Amino acid sequence: MAVRARDLSKHYVHPWTLRVTRGLEGLDLDVRRGEVLGLLGPNGAGKTTTLKLLTGLLKPTRGNAWLMGEPVESTAARRSLGFLPEQPYFYDYLNGVEYLELAGQLSGLPSATARARARHWLGRVGLGERPRLVLRKYSKGMLQRLGLAAALVHEPGLLILDEPMSGLDPFGRRDVRDLITEQRERGVTVLFSSHILPDVEMLCDRVAIVIGGRLTRVATVGELVAGGSQAVEIRCAPGAVLEIPSHWAGRVTRTQRADESIFRVEDEAQLAEVLGWLLRAKVQVRAVTPQRPTLETLFMAAAEAERQRRTA
Amino acid sequence: MIPLLIAHNTFREATRDRVVAGVVVAGLALLALTQAASPLALGEGGRLTVDLGLSGISILGLLVILLAGTSLVAKEVERRTIYNLLARPITRPAYLVGKWAGLSAALWAVAGVLGLALWGLLALRGLAGHGPAVIEGVYLAGLELTVVTALAVMFSALSTPVLSALYTLGFYVVGQWSDDLRLFAARSPKGLGTVLAGIANLVPNLPLFNMRTLAADGHTTSALHLGLATGYAAVYAACVLCLATAAFESRDFK
Repeated sequence: MAVRARDLSKHYVHPWTLRVTRGLEGLDLDVRRGEVLGLLGPNGAGKTTTLKLLTGLLKPTRGNAWLMGEPVESTAARRSLGFLPEQPYFYDYLNGVEYLELAGQLSGLPSATARARARHWLGRVGLGERPRLVLRKYSKGMLQRLGLAAALVHEPGLLILDEPMSGLDPFGRRDVRDLITEQRERGVTVLFSSHILPDVEMLCDRVAIVIGGRLTRVATVGELVAGGSQAVEIRCAPGAVLEIPSHWAGRVTRTQRADESIFRVEDEAQLAEVLGWLLRAKVQVRAVTPQRPTLETLFMAAAEAERQRRTA
Repeated sequence: MIPLLIAHNTFREATRDRVVAGVVVAGLALLALTQAASPLALGEGGRLTVDLGLSGISILGLLVILLAGTSLVAKEVERRTIYNLLARPITRPAYLVGKWAGLSAALWAVAGVLGLALWGLLALRGLAGHGPAVIEGVYLAGLELTVVTALAVMFSALSTPVLSALYTLGFYVVGQWSDDLRLFAARSPKGLGTVLAGIANLVPNLPLFNMRTLAADGHTTSALHLGLATGYAAVYAACVLCLATAAFESRDFK
């Protein structure tokens, strides 16, 4: 396993009121070598807490974690780790090359190798044109790119990225996606948190959903979206407005547009019956599209279920 | 290796900071001022130059520590630049030692530049013979700044920049009077005396690093004094850094 966590918990105690806040509760998580795992959750769910516990920036209240087989408390665990914190900040008195060179050396690269890699990765993340520009003049997006380069400069076997697409424009997001894909092809394990569900859907082998400091589900995107009845959308040419039979109320709905009528059948088992009805009514059917539930829908449902569980 | 890398970067940070450049300029201006004030010193111009020059190194060094040193770690935590360091194979003690060594090196450089300027000025006044005394005075001032830097790094690792500055200044001021405090403790009632003696032993013994009066007369100090001061500075700074790392080791970075 590249990452293993057992009963990993973090509680914060307010120094004055002694009130305990549970940042993370009993996390059991395994990330296999070479896989890309996305950590999903709303704000304050415990994603960043999880990543900081794994990188040693936070000390767990309870439980243990290992990176590449080494306990996270040991420096050996961080030898093959590349970490990008959320909204990264850097020494603004350094320039891009100097910073990456320092980052490489601190991760164990010899000086000459660190210098060469610094230039390579600065170019690779699209900042190579002005290598001597001091970091105080970098934009937010440039800092995010530099952060990625700093996480990758020593070519680690495990990447932990906290919101890597945050602050990036669409081109930047595409570049980050390409970088993550490239790292996966190199055999690097990637664990990242994100709010941007399409990116998670596109990149991840598996998704872990964290809500209210608890891991609620770990599954592949396919597993998450599979199961249960699937809705189907039938697009028809505009024509006479058909009245939907009353016994289908709530199960079949219609949206009327200027150029087409769209029927939504909530249960695909009913598709043949609805299609037969449309064809008998001489409606011209243009397309029948199964409606795969999106990760967003499932995520929102999981969040709502957790909210209801807490309320109860 | 890791402490050296961090020390190098901290040195780079300090020397690129306007505070350090400003302090060097202020030190040179102070030396120039001593020359303007020399005619008023009734033939003691050389003495005044050495005294003010060495005092200037100590005070301006303290200013650098208060302005840059006391926020050395706290600023990294506040700006979250520390995340990018401690998520690498770096131990927290190595990080703190690197920070201390880097700022100390920058202060030694400042002391060296100002000491060299002081020596040059004395040579121009025909007092080149004061050279060895000035070198020893600058060396002791450097040791004093190294000890105070260790305190600043410790407070910075545990507190906010403002509180760190106040604590460091407090230790510096009480440390300057530690001899008087010990004397006062000996003459005080037992309970109070024990407390005062405890405080006097807790704060750094900064008078040990003061040979301004000797140097002003062109006298050098003994090898034993220099050795004792060196050993004391090393042991005191090591103890302070050990305390700092013990507390820093369990710190969370939220």
